Amino acid sequence: MHTCLALNCITCEAEENGALWPRTKSLFNKMRIEMPLKERPDLPPIQYEPVLCTRNTCRAVLNPMCQVDYRAKLWVCNFCFQRNPFPPQYAAISEQHQPAELIPNFSTIEYTITRAQSMPPIFLLVVDTCLDEEELGALKDSLQTSLSLMPQNALVGLITFGRMVQIHELGTEGIYKCYVFKGTKDLSAKQIQEQLAIGRVNVPNPQQRPGAPTPQPPAHRFLQPVKQCDMALTDLLSELGRDPWPLGVGKRPLRSSGVALSLAVGLLEVTYPNTGARIMMFLGGPCSQGPGQVVNDELKQPIRSHHDIHKDNAKYMKKAIKHYEALALRSATNGHAIDIYSCALDQTGLMEMKQCCNSTGGHMVMGDSFNSSLFKQTFQRVFVKDQKGDYKMAFNGTLEVKCSRELKISGAIGSCVSLNVKGPNVSDQEVGMGNTCQWKMCTFTPSTTMAIFFEVVSQHAAPVPAGGRGCVQLITHYQHSSGQRRIRVTTVARNWADPAVNLPHIAAGFDQEAAAVVMARLVVYRADHEDGPDVLRWLDRMLIRLCQKFGEYAKDDPNSFRLSENFSLYPQFMYHLRRSQFLQVFNNSPDETTFYRHMLMREDLTQSLIMIQPILYSYSFGGPPEPVLLDTSSIQPDRILLMDTFFQILIYHGETIAQWRALRYQDMQEYESFAQLLRAPVDDAQEILQSRFPVPRYIDTEHGGSQARFLLSKVNPSQTHNNMYAYGGAMPIPSADGGAPVLTDDVSLQVFMEHLKKLAVSSTA
Amino acid sequence: DLLQCKHILPEYPEEPAEIRLGPQFSDAPNCSPEIFRSTINKIPDTNSLLQKSRLPLGILIHPFKDLNHLPVIQCTTIVRCRACRTYINPFVYFIDAKRWKCNLCYRVNDLPEEFQYDPVSKSYGDPTRRPEIKSATIEFIAPSEYMLRPPQPAVYLFLLDVSQIARDSGYLQVVCENIKENLEQLPGDARTQIGFICYDAHIHYYLISDGLTRPKEMTVLDIDEIFLPSPESLLVNLGEHREMIRELLTLIPRRHSLPGVPASALGAALQAAYKLMAPTGGRITVFQTCLPNIGPGALQSREDPNARSSKDVAHLNPATDFYKRLALDCSGAQIAVDLFLLSSQYCDLATLSGMSKFSAGTVYHIPVFNASRSWQAAQLRNMLTRYLTRKIGFEAVMRVRCTRGIAIHTFHGNFFVRSTDLLSLPNVSPDAGFGMQLTIEESLSDLQQVCFQAALLYTSSKGERRIRVHTMALPIATTLTDVLHAADQQCIVGLLSKMAVDRCVTASMSEAKEALINVAIDVLSAHKLSQNLPAGPASSSLHAPLPLRLLPMYLLALLKTKALRTGTSTRLDERVAAMCDLKCHPLAQLIRLVYPDLYPIHSLAQHVHKEDEELVPDPPRLQLTSERINLNGAYLLDDGEIMIVYICNSVSPAFLSETFGVTAFSQLPDEATTLPRLENEGSAMLHSFIDKLNDDRPYPSNVLVLRDNSPSRTRFTERLVEDRLESAFSYYEFLQHVKSQVK
Ligand SMILES: [Zn+2]
Ligand SMILES: [Zn+2]
Repeated sequence: MHTCLALNCITCEAEENGALWPRTKSLFNKMRIEMPLKERPDLPPIQYEPVLCTRNTCRAVLNPMCQVDYRAKLWVCNFCFQRNPFPPQYAAISEQHQPAELIPNFSTIEYTITRAQSMPPIFLLVVDTCLDEEELGALKDSLQTSLSLMPQNALVGLITFGRMVQIHELGTEGIYKCYVFKGTKDLSAKQIQEQLAIGRVNVPNPQQRPGAPTPQPPAHRFLQPVKQCDMALTDLLSELGRDPWPLGVGKRPLRSSGVALSLAVGLLEVTYPNTGARIMMFLGGPCSQGPGQVVNDELKQPIRSHHDIHKDNAKYMKKAIKHYEALALRSATNGHAIDIYSCALDQTGLMEMKQCCNSTGGHMVMGDSFNSSLFKQTFQRVFVKDQKGDYKMAFNGTLEVKCSRELKISGAIGSCVSLNVKGPNVSDQEVGMGNTCQWKMCTFTPSTTMAIFFEVVSQHAAPVPAGGRGCVQLITHYQHSSGQRRIRVTTVARNWADPAVNLPHIAAGFDQEAAAVVMARLVVYRADHEDGPDVLRWLDRMLIRLCQKFGEYAKDDPNSFRLSENFSLYPQFMYHLRRSQFLQVFNNSPDETTFYRHMLMREDLTQSLIMIQPILYSYSFGGPPEPVLLDTSSIQPDRILLMDTFFQILIYHGETIAQWRALRYQDMQEYESFAQLLRAPVDDAQEILQSRFPVPRYIDTEHGGSQARFLLSKVNPSQTHNNMYAYGGAMPIPSADGGAPVLTDDVSLQVFMEHLKKLAVSSTA
Repeated sequence: DLLQCKHILPEYPEEPAEIRLGPQFSDAPNCSPEIFRSTINKIPDTNSLLQKSRLPLGILIHPFKDLNHLPVIQCTTIVRCRACRTYINPFVYFIDAKRWKCNLCYRVNDLPEEFQYDPVSKSYGDPTRRPEIKSATIEFIAPSEYMLRPPQPAVYLFLLDVSQIARDSGYLQVVCENIKENLEQLPGDARTQIGFICYDAHIHYYLISDGLTRPKEMTVLDIDEIFLPSPESLLVNLGEHREMIRELLTLIPRRHSLPGVPASALGAALQAAYKLMAPTGGRITVFQTCLPNIGPGALQSREDPNARSSKDVAHLNPATDFYKRLALDCSGAQIAVDLFLLSSQYCDLATLSGMSKFSAGTVYHIPVFNASRSWQAAQLRNMLTRYLTRKIGFEAVMRVRCTRGIAIHTFHGNFFVRSTDLLSLPNVSPDAGFGMQLTIEESLSDLQQVCFQAALLYTSSKGERRIRVHTMALPIATTLTDVLHAADQQCIVGLLSKMAVDRCVTASMSEAKEALINVAIDVLSAHKLSQNLPAGPASSSLHAPLPLRLLPMYLLALLKTKALRTGTSTRLDERVAAMCDLKCHPLAQLIRLVYPDLYPIHSLAQHVHKEDEELVPDPPRLQLTSERINLNGAYLLDDGEIMIVYICNSVSPAFLSETFGVTAFSQLPDEATTLPRLENEGSAMLHSFIDKLNDDRPYPSNVLVLRDNSPSRTRFTERLVEDRLESAFSYYEFLQHVKSQVK
């Protein structure tokens, strides 16, 4: 289902409340929709194809918002007002006997296309062998386990790499067989096809004798159903050794990730184009040679930092990014996703490789070790199933957006690529990936979301019809994990409102949480494409304008400034967003920044909000755990705190609690309640750890513990006294200087708010 | 008089003439003529005398010949001349018990104490009792100063063509089976390594390691920039991985049994092999079945069957120097490349043979090979068994020294000439022969004798550094008659054949043939001169000195070998293969190839002699002319490669039933490749005769039975070289021609 959350409050509930769309080209003339492909066990299974509007330029899907003439067996398209006859098989419909797609409850509906060929998903494992024994052993165990977790009809293949790249044949009799490629030489898909003598699966020859076994496709040597090659692949993996090339003193291993990934992309491109597939790359270090190289093999030369990038001192970065972006685009075009599981103590070049995951919807997982539970559990969770027993992954999807004439599509931000399909409803003003009404989503899960941006067409150009409503329809074609082709359609409609007369109406429809998340995507998207403080200034400017527009205040009187209930949290979200790891990069490596941003671009609203403003729970003897302010004032000696930043689950024991724990009171029978208190946050943390993807880092710390800095860096430093911050005209920009355990030179939320009020009410701003 | 004397071939082979040295060395042991042989057994004292004799001066050497009795000594110092580094030998002069004079440069050297000790009698005293003095062939176990690096292990790499043609030929099965059978017999020790590479359009490496339960085939598709897919385990220790290697040898033919690609990237495979072997050195064995047509070193067909009839043969030169350059690289890394060409069509051996020529390898050729022909499979098995199990020397060099005044100017054989007298031999084989042409640069008239010493420094398959030293001494001739009567006609033919092959390549075949005919003319003219007979062709007779009486016949036979004959029946590759044989075969084998032995076998019982209480058939040889073939006879023609049993139609039924178990000539099978072993004396006798013949060659020859009405009877008749064949002279015509030219 496309649950719709938007700045202008387009939620399913809000619709019933009669929320309005602003009929203006005002400050918020863009509406943003988040769209998770959420699990909907309540949807009826529909085994036929959607009915489309017959107008060639429209082709919208029949939906509950359409006017239907049951007698004449006609329906009126709510996008173009075309009158369409129902197809013959709808002859029996009546008001009492409606097809599912007309029932208002099913404004989201899913069709299963039974005539389409069912195709199992493909998993191509791309495995780094420049690992030490322990790491490789652990990874091999995980991979072997994964074979039993995959759909048993899924096709699976194996590529390994080190100094060279090996494409393995599966189940070759009596021998292990692989093709070996230099790690320094890229091959085009055509070369791969010619050299490996593989190609597209041919249409079965009609002259073939009936009953004769269908010939195996040439790619069968490399990609076989799990149930068929399970044993062979298990053997192959168990005998997989470390990269055998000797390592010089002071050298990194020569690692050919760039060519390995290129071969994987090429292999799928020539064998199964436009079919659901995921390349699963397991990476234990940076690419150190050939195309996609991010560092050389001299250990004395460290991998680039944000500082290097800032100083234009990252020698390999641009070329590497170009290589991976090209791969990402090829892969996305063919509907193939790329997952990167990166486990290493140092960076592995995720920053350069990011488009591979971001464009294709593939997972990006960052850990320290393949032998960590973080990796092991995360990887198993990829294959988790829903209540119906279906894998929580969809493949090779396209999202198409249709909208009323008064709206234009500006773009989308999410794990997708533009399909460059222009249309009358496509805006010239691009936000995110624009200039299209269709996007490719190679893989997605029920929690994947997209932000879609609209522009309201000027009133003069397209006057609103009396009593008219604006409509948006989202049509997602995809390959279900069972192999079926499915189409999910969501249609929403909103009344129009004129801000000139009805601004409070519009304000009442504001969803500040959705707005915060959409704003976060927008600003991170900008940050990914440009550099420096301008991004923060832009974010601040947007916040000030919102406050100016929707705040109540007397000019030039900051104390008079008020925001209504449904705007009140928004500045706080922005405060935390601007000091978050998404925008403050210098405490993190470029790979970390990349990973954090990657997650923000795909997760659903709730998870995204946690990322922006972590949740803090406090545990005490006084009662059940309670949510507390993300503020230094919440750190108390007799409390245990549980902080969820999405990426970390941190348990912090206050000073007194920590002392008691050190004295092992919890082991004494008379202090059973203390033991219970200690256990409570651990149990709650486990609950989160059980369900989240990727598995967060679990930190157990206490007052004075070195890892307490993770907590201290997130809380609002309300109780430091260094709140004086010089600023001149613009918003204060927090210092980029990292490493301070307490944020003494960071502004507190209170100071931030004071400045915001001042600027919002200023008549000169 | 050659024109009068028709039957000049001795019925039984003659021993080479004995070399008589001056009184001081009359009892000294000289080198065996099977190892060291000179075209003239007395060296003319001046160059002008040599020129007058018109004889070629040169020596042939078979340095690593399998020997039954080879004295091997291990000592702390090997006694050598301090000036010219000659090894002490039976022909040095002892000035007293402490000093010796070098027989090559005449420097006086001290004798070390140790040399006084006689290891045989375990006593001190007379240095002449030392094995170095008592044997002209001796082997030293070299101390460490003879090593540039620790002796290399035996390393064997097999390169197997698996192109479509290769698969069709079925050779893989035969070769892999044979290697498997002979794994235990491969010379080597605990360090021995082995590896395999298959190639078609791509290169397939085979990795064997402890971590794997089965071999791993690693295919590299990129043949333009060849690389090794693994730094280890592509060449593996034979002892530690015997079982897996056997498994691999079973798998390889099976893996390559399905239809393949019509492409052969031999050049790339060789580059890969070089990369793999360069760190250790060793032996690369290539099995090739078709023209390499892809990647580096790719070739195009140059043979035009329509041009076969022309007088001169084109394309005897390599089409590219790729294979030569590769061989030189190999030689530098102590790698020899042996080539088994099992072709069904033209493969441009003239180009491919470069890989062996310059790396001291060997070329083996079985034309139109197909394993389904059992005799070809058997021939390959025989060849290969000998090849795999014979002795081998690694990282060898051979230096040939001679008495001051004599100089070597051209070497023949497969090697790389590192300096004027030093040959690089990455591998040395007991089946390889070499030749050297000599010039007399200074007058030798003060000398009693001339000496040649060949020293072969090599690493044995057991990792020992060894030096094998052969020394030959020859007396001096001062008159033309002396020179002519000391000529060694077989050795001369041996040397001339090598020179003729070179001439074909550097000039043309017609020039080479012309030159051979001129040798006969010149030598007989020289003889005439020495006899003071009147000049000019007036005489009606053609006289030759006794030791040279067979020379015209041998020369005519040489002109009719596959290497030099004209006519349409000779494929270019077969011609080149024959040329390679002429360049590398040891003398006995070479003579048999040029002038095969022909025996009557219908009357074996009449020619027997007793040996160890057993009757051994010993029939006389017949000259190669149809005059000697009787309609009621049966014959065996033996050229070393093949024994053709030729049955005439009126042979006695008794012979047929004894030998073949048939009663009539018409019941004889056509082109049988075996002789039945029957329970009777005649059959046993024939088999024991064949076995005896097979004793003296590297591997048993194939047998081919032909009736005198078989379609392929020309395979027999074309070897009757004294008859007129196609457009070539008969022996008599040849003599007439020579006579007319003799001055
Ligand atoms: Zn429509
Ligand atoms: Zn000397």
